[in-house]
Amino acid sequence: MRRSDKTMSLANTASVKTEPSVLARLFARQELALLVCLLLVLVFFSVTVENFFSVRNMTNVLGQASLALTAGIGCAIVFISGEVDISIGSLLATIALPLIIIMNDTNSLLLGVSAALLFGLIIGVVNGYLTAYAGINSLIVTLGTMFIMRGGVYLYTGQRAIPDNASLDSFIALSDGRLFNIIPYSAVIAIVLLVAFGYMMQHRPFGRQIYAVGGNQEVARLAGYDVRRVKFICFIISSLLATVAGIILAARVGSAQHTAGLNFEFQVVAATVLGGVSLAGGIGSLTGMALGVLILQFLSNGLRGLGLPTEWQLVITGMIIIAAVAFDEAKRRRANGG
Amino acid sequence: MSELTHASAPKRFIGGQLLGSSQLVLCIILAVLCIAISIAAPQFYSEANIIAILRQCALVLIVASGMTMLIITAEVDLSVGASLAFVGCIGMAVLNSTHSLALGMLTALAFAGGVGLFNGLVVTRLRVNSLIATIGTMMMLQGGVYLFTREAVQNHNQLASFTDLGAGYVGPVPVPVILAALIFVVAYVTLRFTTLGRYLYAVGANEKAVRLSGVRSERLKLFAFVVTGLCVGVAGMILSSLMNAGQPTAGRGFELTVIAAVILGGTSLLGGRGSLFGTLLGVLVLKVIDNGIIILGWNQDLQMVVPGVVIILATYLDIIRNRANVR
Repeated sequence: MRRSDKTMSLANTASVKTEPSVLARLFARQELALLVCLLLVLVFFSVTVENFFSVRNMTNVLGQASLALTAGIGCAIVFISGEVDISIGSLLATIALPLIIIMNDTNSLLLGVSAALLFGLIIGVVNGYLTAYAGINSLIVTLGTMFIMRGGVYLYTGQRAIPDNASLDSFIALSDGRLFNIIPYSAVIAIVLLVAFGYMMQHRPFGRQIYAVGGNQEVARLAGYDVRRVKFICFIISSLLATVAGIILAARVGSAQHTAGLNFEFQVVAATVLGGVSLAGGIGSLTGMALGVLILQFLSNGLRGLGLPTEWQLVITGMIIIAAVAFDEAKRRRANGG
Repeated sequence: MSELTHASAPKRFIGGQLLGSSQLVLCIILAVLCIAISIAAPQFYSEANIIAILRQCALVLIVASGMTMLIITAEVDLSVGASLAFVGCIGMAVLNSTHSLALGMLTALAFAGGVGLFNGLVVTRLRVNSLIATIGTMMMLQGGVYLFTREAVQNHNQLASFTDLGAGYVGPVPVPVILAALIFVVAYVTLRFTTLGRYLYAVGANEKAVRLSGVRSERLKLFAFVVTGLCVGVAGMILSSLMNAGQPTAGRGFELTVIAAVILGGTSLLGGRGSLFGTLLGVLVLKVIDNGIIILGWNQDLQMVVPGVVIILATYLDIIRNRANVR
């Protein structure tokens, strides 16, 4: 039974070139190209930088990448649904406040994290409601909430950091701890979330709804999908995942910093687009996004290893983003026959 | 059919040519703001304060004039903040070594125009989405300015004409305001009364149709990018004159303020719709809020919160009004 199904579908793709299969193959090639890029980066720096290809350095980079990976999942999902969320950088700073303050008061990691997630949920609901139900352009909404949150944090803290006085072991473990003494917990969290949401996007009905809504909103609506609800939930997912990233960041710096996450949204957006997730919606995958994040993270780590100052890292990263997207665009045009 | 004509006729009658869809809302917001602030703090209406507000508007308005054209063609430039800082440093360095305002200005314009040209070429030739392309340029410029100088480039030339660029007056009006007004008027006339302007709208509304009718849409977009760059060049020199130094950290978040003002003015990010008059109102609203917060003695961090609320609110009111119009 199963075999006949398979041969059927094979025959299908061979004889009638249905659109989804062509698209699917394009995605596959996209991720392959990204993987080759990542390997090239790894090989280049392994040869040129001492200790680059060590377990210690690799896992360190994974730990550093966990922030962008976690928030990138949400960013990619919102992009795929055809919207954008640039409020995540300010969100990182905002949710650190309830987290640290409640932990300082109650000495409970659970309560602190719950408060942070509750804040993240509220922000997601606001972004999602204003975009999906009030119908305001998501770039405007999240630009607005980005200002509001950053200003709110400045107001509340008086532009001073709030230190973590509770120093809970479990909280510190989020930044220092390693599973089996190898992989940082933050990376483990990111990978688990990535796998879970990757499964949702590819194999669950809701994932398909997101692709459908981003691909063609009108068709999705006619197919009976609740477009508004799908987008609403995408924004909540994005805010909650950025909250997780914010918790990891707060653990790493050991305080609630008013400047936390400045320009973070640009880094994540860049990595996501580098990973082949289209701003137009409906195109891309979480695997691609993850590869995009890893390429940029290993690149900056390797450049630091070469002794280049951070300024050069910025310059080179900028060039690579432009070059990669340009290359990708050229390839796509050729695939579509010009 | 009759409903359609009914809906559009009164709009043309009330709104006329000047007040488009969202401008009316903005005018009301601006009026309410001015009245509320001057009731709470009468010094708001002093001549000195009004001139101060205008001066603060100048920088944003100059760049927003170019940005409005760019957004009307359905593209965006996020690199203007980073470019602003870089231009200030380079311009100041050239002034210091040559003691010539003309050379400094030329270098600044050439550099900023070059950045615009680069952005435009990447977007039109390489087909990179402008949001991403200009994030890339922003990173390159942010890194580049620190490679150029690690600290502020101090003003060693003390040219009177350069100081006047930021701090000078013609009669009671500050020089930056005059420059901003000039640039605004030129941009306004271009967009409103020339074929070029009409093509810019057309490209944003339907690029394919424009291309099929034989106009080179890429050239038009390239033009808008370069104009935005040149505006940044002027603004960068004014800023470095005001600060009496080229600051590599200047212009942080400037791109967002400019874009916020343009969007607030009713220009659609999807392209093809918007006006410079709206942008002017947008800039005024944002800067009157800034000024009001200072005059009322409120915490200055509110200067970030309130504009955020206003952008969302104004856009929402616009949507509600449009819905009512359709009905």
